[in-house]
Amino acid sequence: MARRSERAPLGLDLLLGLVLAAMVCALFWWVFSNLDTAWGWSRAWDFRQSLWRGWLVTLELSAGALAGSCVVAGLLVAGQRTRYRSLRWFSRAFVELVRGMPLLTLVLIGYYVVFAQSQVAGLLDRFGVGSKLWTGAALLSVFTGAYLSEILRGGLESIPQGQIDSARAVGFDRFQVFRWVVMPQALRRVLPALAGQFVSLVKDSSLLSVIGVQEFTAQARAFNSATYGGIEAFLPLAAGYLLLTLPLAGVAHAMERHFRYQM
Amino acid sequence: MDIDAQRLTRRYGALAALDGLSLEVERVKVLALIGPSGGGKSTLLRVLGGLEGADEGEVSINGTVLSADERQLLAWRRRNGFLFQQFNLFPHLTARRNITLPLEKVHGRTAAEAERVADESLERFGLTAHGHKLPAQLSGGQQQRVGLARAIASGPEILILDEPTSALDPEMTAEVLELIGELAAGGQDIILSTHEMGFARAVAGHVAFIAAGKVAEHGPSGELFAAPKEEMTRRFLSKVMRFA
Repeated sequence: MARRSERAPLGLDLLLGLVLAAMVCALFWWVFSNLDTAWGWSRAWDFRQSLWRGWLVTLELSAGALAGSCVVAGLLVAGQRTRYRSLRWFSRAFVELVRGMPLLTLVLIGYYVVFAQSQVAGLLDRFGVGSKLWTGAALLSVFTGAYLSEILRGGLESIPQGQIDSARAVGFDRFQVFRWVVMPQALRRVLPALAGQFVSLVKDSSLLSVIGVQEFTAQARAFNSATYGGIEAFLPLAAGYLLLTLPLAGVAHAMERHFRYQM
Repeated sequence: MDIDAQRLTRRYGALAALDGLSLEVERVKVLALIGPSGGGKSTLLRVLGGLEGADEGEVSINGTVLSADERQLLAWRRRNGFLFQQFNLFPHLTARRNITLPLEKVHGRTAAEAERVADESLERFGLTAHGHKLPAQLSGGQQQRVGLARAIASGPEILILDEPTSALDPEMTAEVLELIGELAAGGQDIILSTHEMGFARAVAGHVAFIAAGKVAEHGPSGELFAAPKEEMTRRFLSKVMRFA
């Protein structure tokens, strides 16, 4: 665990803060004063409903893929830790293939090759999961799940053998060793990395516009091309994503503090 | 306790940590394993404690034959207590929770019962003020005392200690050895490996000298320390006791 270094002198700290703030303000002032478009916030206001709808779709996508990716990651970790070699190789290959592909490629192949097939689409429709939203969430779950599984596997393998011996010695069975000793310590260690991956997931959902999911970025683009709105479309876009990602990071930091212990 | 080990072999890759080791003792209360590092003491304790099975050979303790079957070994581990040199406690749990968790999950005690037992053993070992602390907030000696409290909380048939003081400074060593001595005086059956020869001589009724994966010799501790029969034992004892 990182130890907080000693406090810097307060005066110098304040001065540095002021200089940094001034630099950021200057940069923004320079950038925006060079934009020769007149501000047209009324157009953005007219489009607020579709932007809002897009934001909700992104929220749904992210929430669904967050849950889905945990399931995928759990299966892949279990698959890589099983006694069955065939299953281990399959899981390993799956992780490497998914991680080796750009998300855009995975989304396009997944959509056009798998989900858009008429038989598959018909089957999915029968179960009420045929929409592009479901397809997008599933693809995003697979992509993020592959990364999550590697983070989790790294965390599980970082727990020293002595802890496992100790847990077996007090009489825990295989599942209890995992549940009470290995898993809690591993989760604590990988929490920062998990949080980063979830934040990435929220942002990655923007790529699903290529298969026609009407999420936040797609709506902002539509607004932009309809009105040449430009920056008035993209500033709300940035704010909207931060509204999702910053709380996620905040929760992760709170959890880190709560589960803090030293080895 | 009675131990009957016959031709035990345990290999790690090309290394035979136990190389056809045999040991028969009867009605021993405290058995100490001494000998050079890497001689097989820890491996023998792991086999006797049911943490791993032997590749070859047979061992029975108090009439229970230890097989290589994981379920049987689990049942055996649950009857006994084990303390390692270090890395004993679960670092994410308080000292008290380290004791109560196995009581609840393994021995089926209620939370209230487990807490009562934990508080009793913490008090007995002079740790009442430290129950709420995480292992990292305790000294090495305190950690090892909590480990000991956890190992005996379930009332183990045999307490197995693998170099319980090797990672501790002399002062902490003394406080842990004192507790082990108290447990022995209270009638607890104990098997331990140790480099503390004075302690082995004073507390253990029986001593086995282990080297190169075999028992070179064993006998009542008074006899073995006073008149070792084997040249190997004599040389080892004269080396480690030189400054004692």
